[in-house]
Amino acid sequence: MKLRKIMIAMALLLTVSLALFGAGTGEKPAAAKADEPLTGKVSLYASITSIEPIMADFKAKVGVDAEYTRLSTARFISTVLTEYQANKLMADVVQGPLPILEILKEQGVLANYQAKAAEGYPDWAKRDGIYLFGIEYVGLIYNTDLVSKEEAPKRYEDLADPKWKGHIVMANPASHATTISWLVGLKENVFATEAEWMAFVRGLAANEPMFVASFGPTPAPIASGEKKIGISMPKYIVTNAPAPLDYAKLSQPMLGSPRAIAITSDAPNPRAAEAFLEYWLSDGAMGILANDVGEYVLTPGVYPPIPGISETEVIPIRELSDEEIQKWGAEFEKIFALK
Amino acid sequence: MERRHSRLTYTLITIVSLLTVAPVVMLVIGSFSKNLRAFGDFTLSKYIAVYTDPMLVETAGNTLVFVLGSAAFATVLALFLAYLNNRTNIPFKFLFKVLSVVPMMIPHVLFAVSWALLLNPSNGILNMWLQQLFGLAKAPFNIYSMPGMIMVEGLLDLPIAYLIISPAMASFDVSLEESSRVFKGGPMRTLFKITLPVLRPAILAAFILCIVRVLASFAVPSVLGMPGRIYVLSTYIYRTVTMSLIADYGKAAAIGMSILVLSITLIYIYRYYTRFSDKYVTISSRGFKPAVVELRKGKIPLFIMLIIISFILIVLPVLVLLYTSFIPYIMVPNGQAFAAMSLANWRTVISDPISIKSLGNSLFLGIVGATVGSFLSILVAYVIVKVKTKASGFLESISFLSFSFPGIVIGIGFMWFFVRTPLYATIWALFFGYIATYLPYGIRPMTSAFVQIHGSLEESSLVCGASFATTMRRVVIPLLVPGIVSGWVLMATMFFRELSLSVVLSRPGTEVLAVQILRFSEDGQWGKLSALGLIMIFFSTLMVVGVNLIGNRFKPGEAKDRKPA
Repeated sequence: MKLRKIMIAMALLLTVSLALFGAGTGEKPAAAKADEPLTGKVSLYASITSIEPIMADFKAKVGVDAEYTRLSTARFISTVLTEYQANKLMADVVQGPLPILEILKEQGVLANYQAKAAEGYPDWAKRDGIYLFGIEYVGLIYNTDLVSKEEAPKRYEDLADPKWKGHIVMANPASHATTISWLVGLKENVFATEAEWMAFVRGLAANEPMFVASFGPTPAPIASGEKKIGISMPKYIVTNAPAPLDYAKLSQPMLGSPRAIAITSDAPNPRAAEAFLEYWLSDGAMGILANDVGEYVLTPGVYPPIPGISETEVIPIRELSDEEIQKWGAEFEKIFALK
Repeated sequence: MERRHSRLTYTLITIVSLLTVAPVVMLVIGSFSKNLRAFGDFTLSKYIAVYTDPMLVETAGNTLVFVLGSAAFATVLALFLAYLNNRTNIPFKFLFKVLSVVPMMIPHVLFAVSWALLLNPSNGILNMWLQQLFGLAKAPFNIYSMPGMIMVEGLLDLPIAYLIISPAMASFDVSLEESSRVFKGGPMRTLFKITLPVLRPAILAAFILCIVRVLASFAVPSVLGMPGRIYVLSTYIYRTVTMSLIADYGKAAAIGMSILVLSITLIYIYRYYTRFSDKYVTISSRGFKPAVVELRKGKIPLFIMLIIISFILIVLPVLVLLYTSFIPYIMVPNGQAFAAMSLANWRTVISDPISIKSLGNSLFLGIVGATVGSFLSILVAYVIVKVKTKASGFLESISFLSFSFPGIVIGIGFMWFFVRTPLYATIWALFFGYIATYLPYGIRPMTSAFVQIHGSLEESSLVCGASFATTMRRVVIPLLVPGIVSGWVLMATMFFRELSLSVVLSRPGTEVLAVQILRFSEDGQWGKLSALGLIMIFFSTLMVVGVNLIGNRFKPGEAKDRKPA
């Protein structure tokens, strides 16, 4: 009996010790050498969706396999830091919202690689190895079968009009970090006073929008006619074509969080990582990102195939700190009477 | 005998501990850690933050209604369907058996979205049809409500309850009911005094397993609850995780701990109410008769009722998926929609190498994983039922450990653990993670089947000189066939559509179907998502039908005079 109990204790001990100190302390890969052959593969961890055409084009042009692991914003830091801590970070390149990449940079996860392809980029888009290449732009998307151009909002304030009551869909403003940042971005970039902004937010809340978890589920209820309008991403006009979707052309700018990309400091395939980053920041890749994925990119003259988008002013919003996101999330929870 | 049982018990405790304890240990550490990772300085701040949040009280109230309502709905409906399918001469039994487990095969997000398309208050297909038919000014139903959530979640959990109750119903000794009638017990008295009490272990097991599953459910609260502003514990956890760019899974784990405590309590309640296992024995050495009840006049009305229930609750959502798979975007069925129909979504999915790779991986995990999981479940169930010691109680509790955590949390626990092993980012991480998490799916149907088998059968075999292995193989396992089939089906269909763990552990090369479906859903590609979902349902159905046919061949009494089901 004693032997059995010891066996169990050993097994539990083994499990716990494996978990605590375990086998996951692998060797760090060596740094890239300029004369190293460009072979193998490159692994990208990204929050951006629908980028398969870019991965395929990279392989076709560079001859290196490109693997894409989709990480939602909620899992990004947890996954990358867990792997990094265990010396098992499999990503050569990471792509995500700027604040996330800045946190990773602070933790030493990212390399300070100087990309030649970014030479033409504005200075504010280059941040010690982190490159901003696009804006996760957010607009007012409506169903063209149910809403005419004339009826569509001309200013953000129009969305607070009671005529939209029960007809709006948006991501939950109490928990969706990008929507929280967007609403705060309106205060800082669009509305003249905080009172005007608050009146807009309260008017929007009074219209009882339907909440979904994130931007992903927003286009379906608009396309199907379940809702007439929504706070969503214009890229869905491209990816959901030929759905009857368009975005409201406002007299105010469209806002969005900057999208960023960087090489990891312990990239398992450093040469391939550099090649991939150079490719990603090139005009060719940005063209695919705009045309096939509907993304708004920073490359001058390259726009997604959405009529009118080249005339629309799109500006990046300030990255909110985590404390701000939580504070405003709690505030919106009260305003939108979320229980 | 006792020594052999003891050795088996401790061996199983060791195996199950290795599978389930590690991720939970990581989560416990994470919940007390200041860091965002598993390890950091000790703190109670995460517990204080979540358990002093005023929103938690209202969320707990909603959760109670949602959980009890869904579990009760699933269990009662399963009882009704299991009775008709197993005990009566209702026609097309085999079809209804498969239909009862269909919701298990549908990705939950897709099932919830189908119901939103049917019953949303703005332009839900069924609502519009009812409005036109009866000239109603308003939509009669709103799926974004607590009753809507309970109905859809209950349907999704119906297969769990059905697959636990059905084997017990199949092994029911009808002579018990006959004795009641001989003593002038009416049909209702017999039902409430004999049938239901004898089936108590299976009913309780189904109800408890449904409760634990509903507690962890995310798809229905997210797709139907959030638009209706009804928050339950899983959406509260999601909110806790997403309300910050730096998701703190330690906080989520802190909430998960109360669900874990609740689950373990439920297991002990179950053990308490089924502690006199001899009361539930229906298969003993004197033989048993899984006899068929003639429905007589009730046959046709019940058959029609079953057809209507199956159509509305199961077939209709699947038809919606079929429809969606042919259209370019979500459209209300009309002339324009039918004109826009094409096979484009199907072509894209079938020619997509990642989708094909995902299908292969999911089939491997479904078939091989469920087979290994079922084998382990048989042994664990045997110990739980036949070896009533504290150690077997402990074994039962640890088998529920990973299962009790909401999926959004346990996946992180496994990641924190597997990253320290060579299994990380391999298909084996998914393989062992699935078995560890969903072990109760295999164990529950088998325990409720084991409970019904009298120990004298096994003892007779051992007295006659058969070894323990021979006794299991020749006596016990053949009598357990319905339970084994149920357990395998539950595990295989679950593994085939598993998302919570997969989304965290899957990497390029180890993609699975559910992750690919999630990708399509995040891109708003509902047509492709539906096409892939239907492919998933097709293969799941093949697995279910296949294992049922194999099970029928090995059922006692059916090997010689085999008849089509």
